[in-house]
Amino acid sequence: MDDRELIARVRAGDPAAERALYDAHVDRVYRLSYRMAGDDDLARDFTQETFIRAFEKLETFRGEAAFSTWLHSIATSVVLNGLRKVKRFRRREADLDEADGVAGGAPRAEPDLKRRLAQAIDGLPEGYRTVFLLHDVEGYTHEEIGAALDIETGTSKAQLSRARAKLRDALADFAGDWIR
Amino acid sequence: MTDDERLDGELGRLARDYHRPPETPRDEMWARIQAERGRRREAAPVVPLRPWMRWSVAAAAVLVLGIAIGRLTAGRPGTTPAAATTALRGADVAYRVAAAPYLTRTEALLTSFRAQSRAGRVDADFAAQAQDLLVTTRLMLNSPAARDPRLASLLQDLEVMLVQIAQLPADGDTRGDVELINNGLEQRSVILRLRAASPMPGVNARGAL
Repeated sequence: MDDRELIARVRAGDPAAERALYDAHVDRVYRLSYRMAGDDDLARDFTQETFIRAFEKLETFRGEAAFSTWLHSIATSVVLNGLRKVKRFRRREADLDEADGVAGGAPRAEPDLKRRLAQAIDGLPEGYRTVFLLHDVEGYTHEEIGAALDIETGTSKAQLSRARAKLRDALADFAGDWIR
Repeated sequence: MTDDERLDGELGRLARDYHRPPETPRDEMWARIQAERGRRREAAPVVPLRPWMRWSVAAAAVLVLGIAIGRLTAGRPGTTPAAATTALRGADVAYRVAAAPYLTRTEALLTSFRAQSRAGRVDADFAAQAQDLLVTTRLMLNSPAARDPRLASLLQDLEVMLVQIAQLPADGDTRGDVELINNGLEQRSVILRLRAASPMPGVNARGAL
């Protein structure tokens, strides 16, 4: 049964169709949430909120785009807004820790490549990071990213290009090992 | 293939380990989605608000919060009624609408938490509610409300209390943590100060404003 049939049955009040629609899409939404949040609790919260909103708004889905596109636009909105709130809260906590003199700790060991890459991805501007993770890690097309983030396909391509350039710069000292 | 293209390919390959997702907890999330949808359906207002009703609700919220701000400023030595009125006028309307239910909910949460924990039990729901209220606390701290030093001090204490409650482990021995929270509530007179700031039914607004 395809998405269109499932949606018609959900609208008719079929709970089994709701579960089938959820099962068909939950993996990709959860993966997106986890990639962006890096935290299981947050990823679960974001995934749950995405589906709650999707079911609430299903009557407004007109079918002009694919259901997965519509669902992922909800998911990216939920994740990005949620992460902004968490970031503000964590910044406040970090400020408090610094003020109390309890932050810091032992100096870190020499970072290896993966840790440096993770830090570099964390340090990307939000738009670059989102496009990089969606395209290069999760395999979304620029068209899907454009629809999910409500940006032009060209903007998605430009942001990916800049994201990659920033990552190359951040990891330049490892480059010699890769291109031999 | 250029060096940059080769590097990009390698970066993409390595980045697959960045925040690598575990297996999707389908059934757990589905159960929570169903529970939350049920809760929201029950909590949804049954009477749709017409425009004039929205204004009435907003006006009522502004009024009760005005009372709260008035009560805070009225007790401050050297504060004149004119100064209190000026401070009230300067407050942001959106903040005032949001603050009344926030103060009431926070008072309810902390009071219930203290009562239940003294009886030797703490519901897991407290952590979720505290987490929810933390977002509003931060918004309040960033709002014109925080210009009032007494309210700002109260909000900062509330934030610390709510963080501690939100971070209580779901299982295991929490007695030490709970005791720490209750000591903080007592030592900082948090509930007392919260009640002084919260609007109460039947309060006489004339004296405060």
